[in-house]
Amino acid sequence: MKIGFIGLGIMGRPMALNLLKGGHELTVWARRAESMQALLDAGARGAASPADAARGNELVISMVADAPDVAEVMRGVAQGAGPGLVAVDMSTIAPAAARRIGEALAEAGVDFIDAPVSGGEVGAIAGTLSIMAGGSEAGFAKARPAFECMGKNIVHVGASGAGQVTKAANQIVTGMGVLAVAEAFAFASKNGVDRDKVREALLGGFAYSRILENHGQRMIDRNFKPGFKSWMHEKDLNIVMQTAHELGLCLPGSAATAQMFNAMVGSGLGEEDSIAVLKLLENLSGQS
Amino acid sequence: MKVGFIGLGVMGRPMALHLQAAGHALHVWSRRPESAADLPATRCATPAELGRCCEVVFTVVTSSEDVEHVTLGAQGLIEGLAPGSIVVDCSTIAPERARHIAARLGERGIHFLDAPVSGGAQGAIDATLAIMAGGDAAVLERVRPLLACLGKRIVHIGPNGAGQVVKACNQMIMVAAIQAAAEAMHLARTAGVDCGKVREALTGGSAASRVLDVMGERMVRRDFAAGIEARLHHKDFGLVLEAARKSGVPVPLTATVAQQLNALIAQGWGKDDTASLLRVLEA
Repeated sequence: MKIGFIGLGIMGRPMALNLLKGGHELTVWARRAESMQALLDAGARGAASPADAARGNELVISMVADAPDVAEVMRGVAQGAGPGLVAVDMSTIAPAAARRIGEALAEAGVDFIDAPVSGGEVGAIAGTLSIMAGGSEAGFAKARPAFECMGKNIVHVGASGAGQVTKAANQIVTGMGVLAVAEAFAFASKNGVDRDKVREALLGGFAYSRILENHGQRMIDRNFKPGFKSWMHEKDLNIVMQTAHELGLCLPGSAATAQMFNAMVGSGLGEEDSIAVLKLLENLSGQS
Repeated sequence: MKVGFIGLGVMGRPMALHLQAAGHALHVWSRRPESAADLPATRCATPAELGRCCEVVFTVVTSSEDVEHVTLGAQGLIEGLAPGSIVVDCSTIAPERARHIAARLGERGIHFLDAPVSGGAQGAIDATLAIMAGGDAAVLERVRPLLACLGKRIVHIGPNGAGQVVKACNQMIMVAAIQAAAEAMHLARTAGVDCGKVREALTGGSAASRVLDVMGERMVRRDFAAGIEARLHHKDFGLVLEAARKSGVPVPLTATVAQQLNALIAQGWGKDDTASLLRVLEA
């Protein structure tokens, strides 16, 4: 398939490379030209603009930072779009923003799919991302072969915005999950109990989770390298809290968690993995 | 002095009338003309026209967007006001938006004060508002006689935006206190204790506060008709949390109270008084 790919950062670059490996014909564009080099070396064509990345293609995919970036590149995509183009955004943005972008693209005759991912840089490189998609059945079907090069667990969740709603739900569960494990570890150490043993014991029972297993181990190893940077988790939880504010939805646990991530960014832990929330807890209770 | 007024709602109307009563020539513009129909004032067709007639214009509207619209929008104040004139915004908006508006007006030589108020509808009627001003101190001195018609405590906080920062602090403390009063009342009632007695006893001690006095009384009487519409506090909490986020400042209690406000809105009590936080606990 002829595919345009916009945004070649930590996530976008390996995702685009996997599309090339899957035999797709790729056109790439990135705001900073040097980010494109790895893809050009691997055989992709470079585009001069988002409009150019859309021109002549059947599918265009964006992987950028935030809603204003998505809106901006998709304005360009609409200008370059040929008949039947499907545009897919795989960034994490607010559901309401995704719906607005979808409506604007529909006016230009472009079918829009919101398809955020979970699985991090490791999943992007391995091609094992979870992909949660919202939008039309036909658009999803068209994008599916591309999704299969990038991910494993690919679910069409519902109408436009539903993919972002699912991603926000994912961030609620992972945000509170990381905090829960960190609090359990802080609790154990303050009581003089070895964290390693606690993790080992809990893995056999109802507290088992992938976060306890993987993130828990990294907390024990005090390996705070990202992974998933805490400022990004803070950004995602802000999407959750703003949506809750707009809807009139009470989410006390998410609110408390969002404040912990807020404090991480404010105290200079933003570039560390979100498991560094453990450090924040330890500081608060004088356990350093 | 020729004084303009935009926003004639629950707060703005009594404030405008105080200025008129003090002998100022009141000019008004209102999005809905009927809200200005019975006022002893000159009605103007647009904010720009109002600006052409006045040396000082007050704005008391709801959101940051509303303030930007009447000041900087098409037919906005910026198109009518002369250099040296003053816009006094008494709305509660985001500090950074206040700074932005000040900068844009400043390019035309128009002064701007962010001067949000606290004290509610009763404070506006009694002219006992607390006014917290951000902007140039000399500009504040020029309008101080006007502000003295509206409130008792007028404090210059700092440069533009500083007034809104203090208003955010005010809302954090006030609504958290309402939540605390609601939880105490709920606990007392569930334990079979009379809420009126609780309030009476606590008012004499270290837990005494204006909130316990006024909102506590409403909780005791179960009078949830607005005083201050809870939806406005809900809006303000959105601003506070956004400002905290941008500064990387954790506000755990504010965040928790914000969730109770979300629940209040979900229950359909947004136009009732914020004392309805008690009803959220009972729901």
